Amino acid sequence: MKAKKLAALILSGFMAMSMMACGSSGDSTSTDTTTGSDASTEMKGSVEGELTVSIWDENQRPGLQKIIDEWSAESGVKATIQVVGWDDYWTLLEAGASGGQLPDVFWMHSNQAQKYMENDMLMDLTDKIEASDKIDMGNYYEGIVDLYKSNGKQYAVPKDIDTIALWYNKTIFDEMGVDYPDDTWTWDDFAAAAKKLTNDDHWGYAIAPSNNQDSFYNAVYSMGGEIISDDKKASGYDKPETQKAIQMFVDMVQEGSCPDLNTISESGADVLFESGKVAMVTQGSWMVAAFKDNEYTAENCDVAVLPKDAKTGKRVSIYNGLGWAASADTKNPDAAWSLIEWLGSKEMQEKQAELGVTMSAYEGCSDKWVNCTDKFDLNGHMKMLDADLVFRPYSKYTTVWEDMQTEKLKEAWTGDKDVKTVCQEICDSMNQTLSEE
Amino acid sequence: MSNKPKVTGRERSEFIWGWLFILPTMIGLIVLNIIPIFQTIYQSFFKTGDFGRGNIFVGGANYAKVFADTEVWQALFNTLKYAVVEVPISIIISLVLAVFLNGKIKGKSTFRTIFFLPMVAAPAAIAMVWKWLYNSEFGLLNHILPGKTNWVSNPKIAIYSIAIIGIWSIIGYNMVLFLAGLQEVPKDYYEAAAIDGATGVQQFFSITVPLVSPTIFFVLVTRIIAAMQVFDVIYMVIDNNNPALYKTQSLVCLFYKYSFQQSNKGYGATVVVVLLVVIMFFTVLQMIGQKKWVHYN
Repeated sequence: MKAKKLAALILSGFMAMSMMACGSSGDSTSTDTTTGSDASTEMKGSVEGELTVSIWDENQRPGLQKIIDEWSAESGVKATIQVVGWDDYWTLLEAGASGGQLPDVFWMHSNQAQKYMENDMLMDLTDKIEASDKIDMGNYYEGIVDLYKSNGKQYAVPKDIDTIALWYNKTIFDEMGVDYPDDTWTWDDFAAAAKKLTNDDHWGYAIAPSNNQDSFYNAVYSMGGEIISDDKKASGYDKPETQKAIQMFVDMVQEGSCPDLNTISESGADVLFESGKVAMVTQGSWMVAAFKDNEYTAENCDVAVLPKDAKTGKRVSIYNGLGWAASADTKNPDAAWSLIEWLGSKEMQEKQAELGVTMSAYEGCSDKWVNCTDKFDLNGHMKMLDADLVFRPYSKYTTVWEDMQTEKLKEAWTGDKDVKTVCQEICDSMNQTLSEE
Repeated sequence: MSNKPKVTGRERSEFIWGWLFILPTMIGLIVLNIIPIFQTIYQSFFKTGDFGRGNIFVGGANYAKVFADTEVWQALFNTLKYAVVEVPISIIISLVLAVFLNGKIKGKSTFRTIFFLPMVAAPAAIAMVWKWLYNSEFGLLNHILPGKTNWVSNPKIAIYSIAIIGIWSIIGYNMVLFLAGLQEVPKDYYEAAAIDGATGVQQFFSITVPLVSPTIFFVLVTRIIAAMQVFDVIYMVIDNNNPALYKTQSLVCLFYKYSFQQSNKGYGATVVVVLLVVIMFFTVLQMIGQKKWVHYN
């Protein structure tokens, strides 16, 4: 009898455990389905003497791990990098923030920084920077420093900077007898070339309504328009210059020198470029790693500076930069700061560029980045650092109006509504969102 | 002297052990399902602050916004459309398959395994593969078929393309349930029918369908609930730039967009409460309707 009871107890114990396993696996699939396998690793705080570092770009992991390993050798603290894809990164980070389980050190981005800073989720670095002999905020690009500042306090140390440039397919240019793009190109030359480069097999240029920083934002600011006012209180979509820039891209779609919305929504501009279906794309420097690893682009493509505007003479690159931030309630604040200080120091910023991870946020440290590959002439991206740098438009709830903007611009792309009407609608809706911030 | 029958030791022991056995399930349900339901309903009356702090009570404002929001109505319509296509077709196909695989066919278990395989694959992986099959530039479908169809970016057909993925994924699972139901049907009915000269088709409609109707009902109820919650396939296949997004996104997609992408959890909760009410409505409707066509022995 006793044995039976014992067996029953053990069985029920098993059931309880399998139940729990079901529960947690069921739970994770509900988010996991959207994610891919990376996301199943949880974001967690650290145990003693070990730091967790979270980033979202797998391409940067090997280089950064090298830099972090050097720090570990010096400090004796182990640090491991977790990579979680872009979308899930923010979902998991938010869950971590709500539950007090943020990673120790992680990337911050302009879309979200303000929210995290205002809610004291990030460690206040102001005094630590003051006391440090390695970090001086004057050395970094101003827009990135300002981005991670809230109420006079600094919450992150700038990590990198990106620029946008014009990538082109040399093979298609040769085939169609068009000269390669150079720094004399205006947006009009660009549109004319796109038309000449279009035939049944390929398009001249590819752009989607959600390609903002890497596409139409550059033209908007180059032509003298704006997306959001400097005080972040008003939309710039009612400006004729803004509308003119968007009109240029919509015209290209209507003429057929850009793929239509159906095509571009199924295969992104980068996919079309990598398979030789378009002659030109505007892409950020973060794509270098991917284009380098792709056999087709490495063989056939190169990069030049963005066109300038004929009227204003301005050549604009919308830039953005990540920041290294630490959790406000990390168990190991000294180690976390020491790692951030290391990553922001001049030597390591130079090393980051040299290893080809990205261009660095520390001014004058990016020169070696040009040599990180012999496949392309990366001066196309480097020279954009000397053009008019405009920081990527953002506000507290950037994603809300960015999503809306993508949604509405689709109607302009398909030609269902004219650009002016669409822009006015975006302007109204965006002003509404901004007034609620 | 009390009239109550005396509780014997054995009865008490059964009572305790009974509860002990369902305790794990009960705890799981309460912690993972029931408490979150009430939290979600509670949240739908708030304008939520960042990271769950500083929530402001707004009464029915979120609900007023939902009822005025055409995007929500369109999403509800999309969800219903998906369910109406996916559920009946998948049930019909899997029932027919189950009947065939219940008969005498060579390599029966091999076929059963093949049809069940989609259930084993991760939904996200399935969606990625189908996305490439459907791709208008490089996809296999457009390669084989004449003409260039925008399977997943034409607003008129995208929802049906999505439903096809849903049907393909679920057939195996439904089939296994029907196979189990078919084991309950006594063989002598078929023998009697055959002697009376009934054809296979007649046997199917007069014997098989009525006798497995409890299983059909079970599959119908659970599949409609699941189909109304469709999210992963749509999220993976239809991206932000897609012109068909407005005509394909389901209520759960909207919930995800508001709750997690725009961190407006209060409004997201409201959308999902609307979904809960709709699902409850249809389930109750089916529970009432079952008397007309479901035959329990």
